[in-house]
Amino acid sequence: MQKGFKRNFEPLKILTDSQVEQIHAASLNVLEEVGFKFESEKALKVLEEHGCTVDYQTMIAKIPASLTEWAISKTPSSFYLKARDPEKSLRFGGNTLYFFNSAGARYVDIDTGTVTMPTLEQNNLGVIVSDALDSVNAFPSYTPYFEIEGVPPVMSCPVSCAQRHRFSSKPSRGAQPTYSYIWETMIAQACDAQIMGCVEGAAPLSLAEDPCNAAFHYLEAGFPIYIASGSIMGGSHPITIAGASVSHNAELLAIIVFLQCIRPGSGVIANNFVTAMNMATGDLNFGTSATSLHQMAFNQIWHSYYKIPINNTGSAFSNAKIIDYQLGAEKLPLAMSSALSGANLIVLHGGVTAELAYNPILAIIDDDIANTIGRIVEGFNVNDETIGLDVIKQVGASGTFLSSRQTRNFWKTEDYMPKMFDKTGYKEWVENGRKTVIDKAKQKYEEIISTHKPLPLDDGQDKEIDKILKEAEKFYKKKGLI
Amino acid sequence: MSERALENLRSIVLDFDIDNAEKVAKEAVSQNVDPLEAAKALTDAIREIGDGFEKGDYFLPDLVCAAEVLKKAIPVITEEIQKQGKKSGSLGKVVIGTVFGDIHSIGKGMVSTLLYAAGFEVIDLGINVKSDAFLDAIKEHRPDILAMSALLTTTAMEQKNVIEGLKKEKLRDKVKVIVGGSPINQEFADSIGADGYGATAPDGVKVAKSLLGIE
Repeated sequence: MQKGFKRNFEPLKILTDSQVEQIHAASLNVLEEVGFKFESEKALKVLEEHGCTVDYQTMIAKIPASLTEWAISKTPSSFYLKARDPEKSLRFGGNTLYFFNSAGARYVDIDTGTVTMPTLEQNNLGVIVSDALDSVNAFPSYTPYFEIEGVPPVMSCPVSCAQRHRFSSKPSRGAQPTYSYIWETMIAQACDAQIMGCVEGAAPLSLAEDPCNAAFHYLEAGFPIYIASGSIMGGSHPITIAGASVSHNAELLAIIVFLQCIRPGSGVIANNFVTAMNMATGDLNFGTSATSLHQMAFNQIWHSYYKIPINNTGSAFSNAKIIDYQLGAEKLPLAMSSALSGANLIVLHGGVTAELAYNPILAIIDDDIANTIGRIVEGFNVNDETIGLDVIKQVGASGTFLSSRQTRNFWKTEDYMPKMFDKTGYKEWVENGRKTVIDKAKQKYEEIISTHKPLPLDDGQDKEIDKILKEAEKFYKKKGLI
Repeated sequence: MSERALENLRSIVLDFDIDNAEKVAKEAVSQNVDPLEAAKALTDAIREIGDGFEKGDYFLPDLVCAAEVLKKAIPVITEEIQKQGKKSGSLGKVVIGTVFGDIHSIGKGMVSTLLYAAGFEVIDLGINVKSDAFLDAIKEHRPDILAMSALLTTTAMEQKNVIEGLKKEKLRDKVKVIVGGSPINQEFADSIGADGYGATAPDGVKVAKSLLGIE
């Protein structure tokens, strides 16, 4: 099993206990009085059987507070996700921190910022690079690219899932649109693995038919579920962080109720991806203070109060179009505040140009950032050996600690030494060709793609995936979607 | 009296006064203000907001709230125009909506508001609009332009389905089609047989004007 990083201190809290209670109570009130729209009769029937008041005309279920509280209590504080390579499996929850690969619709040229449709080979290379990076623990759906040249849009999720299983032994999240969950479940099962199912709401307060169907399907397969309700403050959520916290909380709690009514005790990880709107353009403002504060409040409520594993997506993207100072300045504070406030999973590696683009070279640089953040949350030990009072006394006012046994024993673990960031002196930097972090990451990229060999699938598994994709294609053709 | 009523109509838009919009419009009608002048006062004011939005002087909440004011005030004025047997002029008629499977409304709403502010008559079908609903609206309203939005890669192809539907119904040469949304670009718009593509909401208005030969 991948161990990830262990947070060795209490998560940062930005709300008082009474503020947490206030947000929770308001969320319950929204679900009781306004309700939540489930665009599926099957889903509404399940909820009605569990005590919700259902209006089949509007498809709104009003959820009693007691049912929401029951569903929270049924959701485990941790769950296991089985990868096709047992050493790459994960256990989400508690104080463990993992990192999720980011994604982008298309491939971005690292030097020019030009965005183009990725080929299948570029997609596969992106997966191979992330398979090689220790700090990438898992892949979301349609990663690294949403679109692949020559692949019909409706096949992009199943093909992306197939390639992630072929070129990485790390676990994946499934997708929900247009029956993709059927094929993604089959692909994972063909590899003797689990995927995290995906049930993503549509703010405000609704869940479309596809994710409702995906929930039944993924839970029947016994998979844990990733839930989300991506939203924009000022658009589909209130502009205030407190108001958006209530709306978002209510949406995710409604999905928790739905899932626990279908299969009590199912593992769930709840995602936060709520951004503020750019009021000049209507686009998403990535990497801003509002997103960070919303995530930190969410983390406190879900980690400390509900005790349900949490994912943060705020650091997945940046509005920067190239790998520059803005990119780092938008992604890093978000990732850091997520880690400090209790996130179990942070989306980070490789996303640029809002959600429009991805490049594996950025993923290599993000590997250093993830390792630095991970090292920070692990904290440090305070004991006789680490304090080393005897060494301090021995060195006194004139010696050096460099020659001490304590330095030799601890220098590698007390700090994380970035692999891509330049730590040379000025003279050495000039003599070595003034290499930037991007130059070094490009070199590393070449090294990875020429040397890294992902754990292969066996022939039978590979053929089975081919068969599943052919079946999917036939299915979509019959439906007139290809 | 008439000038003050016209100024009040202008003010409710520029002050984003949604609460008093209907009342002020009714007052203008009761004071026998020419309804065509009343409509012009409202559309001139929202055009000012639209222009300011493009320059960065106004922001989305301003644009949307101004549109809300018009939604309340315009029906009152339109009713009076019809009662008096007069005709209001517009740059053209647009049917707009977000395609089936897609529930994203913000971008579509911006284009809808800016088109209205620019002087178009806009029939907004909302979100998650099925191909048949687009076709029915085109038969019913006979617009000059059909504008479709899609925010998801997976729903972008629905724009093509609607265009194919237009061809089947022999309506394709009766309406100009413009498309937009995050996964859309000029190349995609060309590939599905659209007449125009706008990368931003203000672009959408420029494309609409250009397709109708409006300066």
